Amino acid sequence: MLIQVEHLVHTYAPGTPLERMALRGVSVEIGAGERVGILGPTGSGKSTLVQHVAGLLVPTAGRILLDGVAAHERTAVASARRRRVGLAFQYPEAQIFEQTVFREVAFGPRNLGLEESEVAIRVRWALEVVGLDTTVMQERVPFTLSGGEMRRVALASILAMQPEVLILDEPTAGLDPRGRRGLLDRVQAWQEETGLTLILVSHSLEELARVVERVVVLEGGKVIADGAVRRVLSDAQLLRAAGLDVPQPVALLQALREAGWSVRTDRMLPEETAAEIARAWRCLEGRA
Amino acid sequence: MNLLLPGMYVATDSALHRLDPRVKMGAALLFTTLPFAAPGLRSTLLILAFVVVVTLLSAAPLSALLRTLGTVFWVGFFMFFFYLFTTPGRLLIALGNVTVTWEGLLSGATQIYRLCLLVIVGAILTFTTSPSQLAHGVEALLRPLARLGLPVRELVMVLTIALRFVPTFFDEIDKIAKAQQARGIDVFSRNPLRRARNWIPMYVPIFVSAFRRAEELATAMEARGFRGARHRTRLRQLRLTRRDLMASLIVLAVGLAVIGLERLG
Repeated sequence: MLIQVEHLVHTYAPGTPLERMALRGVSVEIGAGERVGILGPTGSGKSTLVQHVAGLLVPTAGRILLDGVAAHERTAVASARRRRVGLAFQYPEAQIFEQTVFREVAFGPRNLGLEESEVAIRVRWALEVVGLDTTVMQERVPFTLSGGEMRRVALASILAMQPEVLILDEPTAGLDPRGRRGLLDRVQAWQEETGLTLILVSHSLEELARVVERVVVLEGGKVIADGAVRRVLSDAQLLRAAGLDVPQPVALLQALREAGWSVRTDRMLPEETAAEIARAWRCLEGRA
Repeated sequence: MNLLLPGMYVATDSALHRLDPRVKMGAALLFTTLPFAAPGLRSTLLILAFVVVVTLLSAAPLSALLRTLGTVFWVGFFMFFFYLFTTPGRLLIALGNVTVTWEGLLSGATQIYRLCLLVIVGAILTFTTSPSQLAHGVEALLRPLARLGLPVRELVMVLTIALRFVPTFFDEIDKIAKAQQARGIDVFSRNPLRRARNWIPMYVPIFVSAFRRAEELATAMEARGFRGARHRTRLRQLRLTRRDLMASLIVLAVGLAVIGLERLG
């Protein structure tokens, strides 16, 4: 599905003393199958933007088109397009309400009006995608699970609707390192298998470097950068200006370069950084 | 926070914001009860004029006040028709068994007026007084009851915490509504059956989070050595300033004038 955000403006509580402009003219286009990261300091409008893409907010000005149809419209066509967008909010486990994991995950598919047999297939599939053992889990009470497991159940409940666009708003917040890696690996595997669109809102530069191919940087409700993940995340000046950190590997490579090494600075995963340093080291040795 | 709720405190600055909460609460109490003691036309007009002046002084946005009034629309609606149809007196209109009297019309309108006054005065009080000031004021006004063994400070503490969490829960409700909407429930459905079905996915998560928050807050309070409100002192003491004295005098003067007009009329 093609997502077109055009000159989007969003003002919260307009006309009151609490009026706040969260988005000030944002334009972004996301094609089918893209893996896009949304990065920006707290309050930059990231969550507002993704809620618009899911059609949950009405723009103050501008519009969002999902395959050419305005997302917030209250027509049958628009509603069908919205259903193809799955959004997992920050701390999605807060939305859990059912008595069993199965029923929780089945809630979305049932709302889609699917047959019970199809619902059951999807629930099992979704639990598998997030790495939960269906036979053990499906009859358990979700509120008795650990935080990480609840997060996975909540995520499965979105995946079970089989959206064409999956939006994850800081999916790893509050998880331990192993939980983070586990969740992201699952999401990545899902994306590789299905080839569908993934939009990942995150503060973690390493996460973005690993999962997405393109990054949109928001600051103060505006897009200040949009491009390949390598280019954006190695632009230290841009990131610092936006009040963000530079990925540690990039910082390390830049320090090496300042010390006179000839290294590329657009390597941001630990393994590729190590390879780059090793290459530069061999060059130095060769010259010596 | 993304909403301005009816009756919410807004931390702007106005002559009313700076007044002592006790003065404001006393005045609010006086001007919501005066209409019952002084139902005459001239005293009513004086009360209204005073309330309009106070509203202007509060710098409250008109739209917010109107929305607050909107919350009691149905109550007012039923009250009006109840009085309209049930008050005996001089006949105005008769439609079959239903009769409308002049007295009915008048007392219906009076009820609406009293209700609106109550809501507006209450809205202005909460609009210009922070929850902690409000609680402080309640405590000051209830203090005499502490002698009768009423745990006033504890009750005020409960009140303060409850007020503090109102906006938090509205945010939470907003978030849960959106999350479940993204999972395919129709929150805006006009069909009451459908809306009723949405009740569980909406309110179970909100109750769960309320209990979790309550537990976390209790733990946090105990971790800071809270052992009941009795031995607590306050950082900010309420002190009446000259401004508060002036305001009290004006309120009293207007109140007396209303009573005076009523006696004369």
